[in-house]
Order: sequence, then C-alpha cells, then structure tokens
Amino acid sequence: MKFAHIADCHIGSWRDPLLKDLAITAFEKAIDKTIEEKVDFVIIAGDLFNTSFPPVDQLKRTVTKLKQLKDNNIPVYFIAGSHDYSPSGKTMLDVLENAGLATNVCKGEIIDGKLKLQFTTDPKTGAKLTGILGKMGALEEKYFEQLDRNSLESESGHKIFLFHALLTELKPKSYEKVDSYAVSTLPKSFDYYAGGHPHFVLSEKMGEKGIIAYTGPLFPNSFSELEELKHGGFFIVEDQQSTRIPIKLHDVESWKLDCNKKVPEQIQAELKTLIEKAELKDKIITLRLSGTLESGKPSDINFKEIFDSIKEKGAYAILKNSSALTTKDFEEIKIEVAHKDQLEESLINEHISKDDVDHLDPIALSKKLLETLDNNKEEGETVYNFEKRLKEEVEKILH
Amino acid sequence: MGVKGLIISGDFNKVIARQKSEQSLQIGELLIGKTADSNVLLQVTDLLYASQISQQNLELVSGMNLEQGSPIEFFDENLRAYNLAILKSLIVTDQDSAQLCKQLPSFLSPIRDITKEDLSFITTPKNPLSLGKLRSGSKAVNVDIALNGVDVFSHHILIPATTGKGKSNLTSCILWDCVDKEYCGILVLDPHDEYYGRTKTGLKDHPQKDKVSYYTPNNPPPGEKTLKINIQNIKPYHFDGAANWSPPQRQALSMFYKKFGKKWVEAVVMDKDLDQSTRFFQDGTLAVIKRKLLSILDLDWDGEKLDCKGIFCLKGGDTTINDICTDLEKSKTVIIDTSHFAGDVEILIGSLISSELLKKYKHYKLTGELKEKPVINIVLEEAPRVLGKEVLEKGPNIFSTIAREGRKFKVGLTAITQLPSLIPREILANMNTKIILGIEMAPERQAIIDSASQDLSDDNRNIASLDIGEAIITSNFSKFATPIKIPLFEEVVKQTKDSKPKAKNSFSGIQMS
Repeated sequence: MKFAHIADCHIGSWRDPLLKDLAITAFEKAIDKTIEEKVDFVIIAGDLFNTSFPPVDQLKRTVTKLKQLKDNNIPVYFIAGSHDYSPSGKTMLDVLENAGLATNVCKGEIIDGKLKLQFTTDPKTGAKLTGILGKMGALEEKYFEQLDRNSLESESGHKIFLFHALLTELKPKSYEKVDSYAVSTLPKSFDYYAGGHPHFVLSEKMGEKGIIAYTGPLFPNSFSELEELKHGGFFIVEDQQSTRIPIKLHDVESWKLDCNKKVPEQIQAELKTLIEKAELKDKIITLRLSGTLESGKPSDINFKEIFDSIKEKGAYAILKNSSALTTKDFEEIKIEVAHKDQLEESLINEHISKDDVDHLDPIALSKKLLETLDNNKEEGETVYNFEKRLKEEVEKILH
Repeated sequence: MGVKGLIISGDFNKVIARQKSEQSLQIGELLIGKTADSNVLLQVTDLLYASQISQQNLELVSGMNLEQGSPIEFFDENLRAYNLAILKSLIVTDQDSAQLCKQLPSFLSPIRDITKEDLSFITTPKNPLSLGKLRSGSKAVNVDIALNGVDVFSHHILIPATTGKGKSNLTSCILWDCVDKEYCGILVLDPHDEYYGRTKTGLKDHPQKDKVSYYTPNNPPPGEKTLKINIQNIKPYHFDGAANWSPPQRQALSMFYKKFGKKWVEAVVMDKDLDQSTRFFQDGTLAVIKRKLLSILDLDWDGEKLDCKGIFCLKGGDTTINDICTDLEKSKTVIIDTSHFAGDVEILIGSLISSELLKKYKHYKLTGELKEKPVINIVLEEAPRVLGKEVLEKGPNIFSTIAREGRKFKVGLTAITQLPSLIPREILANMNTKIILGIEMAPERQAIIDSASQDLSDDNRNIASLDIGEAIITSNFSKFATPIKIPLFEEVVKQTKDSKPKAKNSFSGIQMS
C-alpha cells in the first residue's frame, strides 16, 4: 500500500498574485508527483482551500488536477479543515464530492447520543479510512468526547484516521498558545493518523497508537512561514514508512535587519550593499526590519527604490515586514512584544495612564471582557441564546 | 438544653467538671459553660472516675463481687460514684463574635451541649475551602467548617496521620472542593495514581471535569495527556533534591549549561567537549554525571544515537511545563501520575514544574499582576522525601524554598506525611494550617503539638484517640483548634449534582447517514 498524505494546501491564500499562484502551483506539482509515484490513493487532511468558497480560477485549476487523479484511478479522500469548513454546510468541498472527484471520509451516525463514525474502504487496497473535520477554535474536540471509540478501535484491517488539529504533546514552543488537545483524544489502534492544521513537519509513533504525522503546508502560508520553512511538502507513505516530498518552487532568501539607532539613509545604504552582493535570480526575498530609528520615520526609507533594485536582479517576489520598526519622532504606543496576548496587554497598559477607570482594575476588566467576547457560539446553541449568554457574562464582569 | 455537668474545680488550663449521672461525655466533646456575661466554649480533654467511697472500700467491695459473687450496690449510687471531666476553655462567645478565652467559667455553673446558635460566630469566609462538619466528640454537628482558601493554601497545609486514618479521603475531599473554585490552582504529584480515579471514583467524576487536567506516562484515558517533557526544558538546578551531586559534579553541570544552553544534557551524555574548562574536571567526575543523567532521565546512548525511553524526550513535550503552569493559572487542578517513577524522577518532575511556577509568580509580583492570579498549592505525598531533615542537610530544594518564602508569592504546599517529626521544626512552624488526623506514635504527635498554631499541649490524648475521618484543624486562620468530621469522599461525590446545563449535541460538518 502506497499513499500520499497532503494537508494545508490553502489554495486561494496570499493577497499577492505571484504568491497566490505559488499555492496552487504547489498543489499541481504535488499531484503530478503522486501520479508519477503511482500511489494507490491520496489523503487531504483538511484546508485544501483557504476559504469555503475559493476564487474560480483557483478552483478550476484544482478541479483539473483532481480530474487527472481520477483518470489515473487514484481516489482522493479528504476531511474539511478549519479554513474550508463552513458552518452552513455550504462548501466547495461538497461540490467536489458530488462531482465524484473526492470522497469526504468524515461520515457517521448518532446512536444513543454517541457519534459512530463510518469507515470508507478504499476498493483497491482495502484500507479503511475515517476521520473528524477541523473547526476554528478546536470546536471539534466536543465530537471526540462523544465518539463511540469501541466501534472504531475494534474494526480490523489497515486503518487510517484523518484529523485536522494540533496535539498538545507534540506541539513546539512556538505553538504554545494555540488551541490543542491531547493525543489520547484520538481513537486507538489505527495504523496511521494523517494530521493537518499545524504548519510543522512531524512523523512519530506514540504509545499504543500508530504513526501520527503532520506534513506541514504544501506551500508556506505567511511571511514568517516563508522565513522559517522556506518551502512546503507532503508525505508518501509506503509500508508504514513515510518519506517527505519537498515542493520547492523558488528559493527563499530571508533578510533580517536590525534598525535600532539607525537613520533611514543608513538602512537604505545597508540594503543596497546587501542587494549588490546577493544572487537573487528567481528567488523569493523576505525582508524583516525591526528596532527604533534614531531619527526619521519608516516611510523615509525608499522601499520602492529597494524593491526595484531587487526586481532588477531577477527576484521572483519581494515581501516586507516592518511591523516591529518604530520611530522616536512620534509619541505613539510602542509595542515590543510579538504575541497576541502580550500585545493586548501592552496596549491595555498603554491606555490605562491615558484613560483611568475609577473603581475597577482596568487590566483585569479589559482582559476579562476580551476573553468573554472571544467566546464562540457553541454547537447547538441558538444565536439568541449565544447573545444572551454573552450579555449576561459581560454584565457579570461589569457589576 | 439538658445540663451535662457542673464545674467544680480546677485552674485555667484544667477546668474540672462533675458529669451528670445519666449523661455521657466523650474526649473531644464540645460543651458550653458560662461566665457572668458570656458563654465559654469548652472541650473535654480527659475523663476520669471519682467516688465518695474510699479507695480501700472500693477495693473491698469489688473483691466481694469477684470472689463471693455478692452484688455491688450502693446507697444513693448516683451521688457516690460518678465521672469527672477535664475541660479546656477554647473561646468566649458573645452572640456573633468570639474571642480568645481569658477567664474561668463561673464556679459551680452548669455545662451543657452546644447548639447551632452557640456557634453563630462560625461563618463562611471569603474564598471558602470546605473541610467538613464541626465535630463534638465523635458526633458531627451540623455546622460546616470552612477556612479562607487563599490564606490557607498560600501559608501551607500539613496533613499528618498514621496509615489508614483517612489522609487520601481528606485530600480527595479538598481537591474535589477546589475543582470549581476560581481562587486556587492545585498541582498534585500523585505517587499512587489515586486522585484522578482511573478505576474508581475520583476527580474525573466532577461535574466540572474540564477543570481537571491529568498527565500520565502510560495509556492516558481519552482526552487526558501523555506526560512527556523535552529534555531541553531541564536546567541543572531542577535536580536539587532529586540527585546528590558533589561540588565538582555540580560545577561541571553548570559549565555544560553555560556552554551548551538548552542542549546541555545532550552535551553531557554525548561526551561533548567543554574546551578549556574540561581540564578543570577529572574524567571520573564527567563519567559520574553522565551516568546519573542517563539513569534519572532514562536515556540510552550507544555512542552514535541518543534514545529516550521514558518521559524525558528529544521530540515533543516542549510545552508540557508551560501548559501545566497555564492550567494552574486558570485555576485548574492538575494531577501528575507519578506512580510509575522512582522517587528521584518524581521529585525532578515536581521540581521542574514548581520552579517554573514560582519563577512566574515572582515575576507577577514584580509586575503587580499577582493579585489577579489564583493561589497555587502543590500537594506533596510523603513530604519528608523532599522536606526531611536529612534531605535538607544536603542542600535546599525548590520545595524547601516554597515552604520558606512561597506565601509571599501566593504559592503554597500541602505536605502529607506519616512522620512529621522528620520535617525540620522551622518548616513545620511555617505550615500555618495543620489538619491532624489520628496519630498513634507519641513522637509524631509531639512534633505536631510543638508546632501547632494553637496550644495543643493538653490534646495529646485527643489526637491519639482520633478515629478514621476525625480531625483537628489548628490554623492561624481559625479561632480555635477545631475538631471536624471529614465526610466520606464517595458520599461527597454522590451529593454533588451535575449543575452544568447540558448543551444539545450537534455534529455539524459530519455527513450523517
């Protein structure tokens, strides 16, 4: 048995048209490779698309490749991910399934209040596949709580479980604040757990479980992912041995410039020297600037000129991140931290001195309000009840 | 209310009362006496026989009964043979207030049973930690005893008792009570894997189970976590109390940490070079630290590949310590199943978590955030393993540091032990709440009496006679040494109703057949 495990293609992501094109190109390359490798079937563990309704041009190219797989008698099994799932049930994935191009393996029935998942059997290999979709905020964890595990665990044969979630015991430090759940949440006795959602690569056997694998994205999905991962990839699994197939479209060169106590002219000069020395042909360049300028403001740096010089040297695309670049010239809120929680707290702190609250602790109050308003609507909860619950919780905090 | 006796003599420490003939008094029983203008709460500390008939005559009469079968009969028997009770004054009560007792109850005044009204000064404090019902002798009185949980947890708790006297039951009850409380987060190092209740009733059955986090190295129940700790999270000082290092070995560890940072453990076991510094250490020193690390961390090094066999791993487990700290900060109860580990590994795990926790809370104090944080309490079974005199003679560890200064940072300990006498007096004195269960061994009782928050010098017998589920709380946060009856944990679980409204099941996104 030989199959491909793909996840987090995020087709349709990136606003920049050049990079948007790379996301779908990566998918096309991956499918070409699976056909070339003559895999028995392809698994997509969530987030094929970046939204439930991807742009038509992207969809067209996706359908073409899925059709090619079908023509080569390679079935595609998938689950929805946190990006391409739609609570209304209207998602392009349904269209693909109805067209016979792919099969959603997240199927089941409710028996005595428990979720009994059904297996989809691959006709060629006899592999039995099932799984649970991913939702925003790890809301699918409740499905696992209601899962009829016995029926899944007692099933014989070669079993594959698809999931789209971050697992606590396996998450690296950079994912510390991301919603996750324990490995034990997954049912036991599957041979392969095809994971998606976190954008890092991992393949590991844990306890009584088979191999738990994350492929990482097919193409980096953000500035920092481009810096860190450089390129995406997927797994080809044969006889329980997984091989990572990298999808390299362009080399990525990442520049990080410390602008502390420098003036815009100095930075511009440094960048020019950098560009002159570097071989940039066909590369993606990421430029991250940080620090506090000695004088002037970030807009004094002539980025257009810099970008033009980079393009002249044949670079494929240039991305700039100057969110951590500040200036002394303006009295503004200065944030030295990168994480969302820290950012929120720093902003609250900055504002306290400007707008004092008499009788309440403003930090605690703001944090509690943010936390409460961040609540998601629960499964089965009506909009009315959800609003009522939120109002009650907010009132409780304010009184 | 019936009279139970009359105060007849004694002094301030030992008030003597004659027991009324048809009444029966018990050691530990609470009674109400009177001064001119208020009530005095009294407690029976001892009981003895008394008679108007001389000892010589008593011996003669009993001899006639034993040897000749003559019945024992006295004229006005109730007047001539009776019991005396030794009482101690606990507090003076006046309506809803109570003060320490500084006067004698009136001479020849009656003593009677307590009523709920007499105890109206016992109120529910802020952030209540429920401990059971007030006990008078062996009878429970329908008055709930609760202490301010924030004070009690941050100023440390000691639970001393002989085996079988109900330490686990009491701890289970305390943990159950704390699960849904927002004022505290509890870390339990559970060497017997008993509190989660894998195979019996436990915290897993709590209606707010989502506030219980369980880590176990093997086969976790669905939804619970596998205990995995990345070796890069370990720092040399985490071994304090878990391993005995000689001064040169300790210095070598520091050197490795200084040079290799997070990868110091790998550097030691893979014989990486310390460059210039290597010459300061003998080969034997480096070999010993390598051997000890391999053994404690359950690592395997074949000269080429480093394998992790236990919970300490190279891949994954990066966020375990931080996840645990975050759970505790969210007022959760975190149970670590350490039943599979040797003592040193258990202490290392406890040390890793506790050190990070104390570090975080020290930082919160610095930034002024501490008042917003819940108090954290660390439950330590067989506490002398880390707080014993012998252990601390070799150097301090994180637990002795917490015992000494944790209360300033809202981090406290609950030390459970059969042998409190092994814990240094200084630490015992820092444990400001002691929940004393039955202790049969006199030296152990004495260690507790000597370090109690209230004067228990007359309670030696009282402590010895404590039955299963009976306890005395002596605390800086209670007005008197309070006798309590601890409920049976299984009963507590039965009584707790699932108050959380059940959300309607919905499985949107799953294709239903």
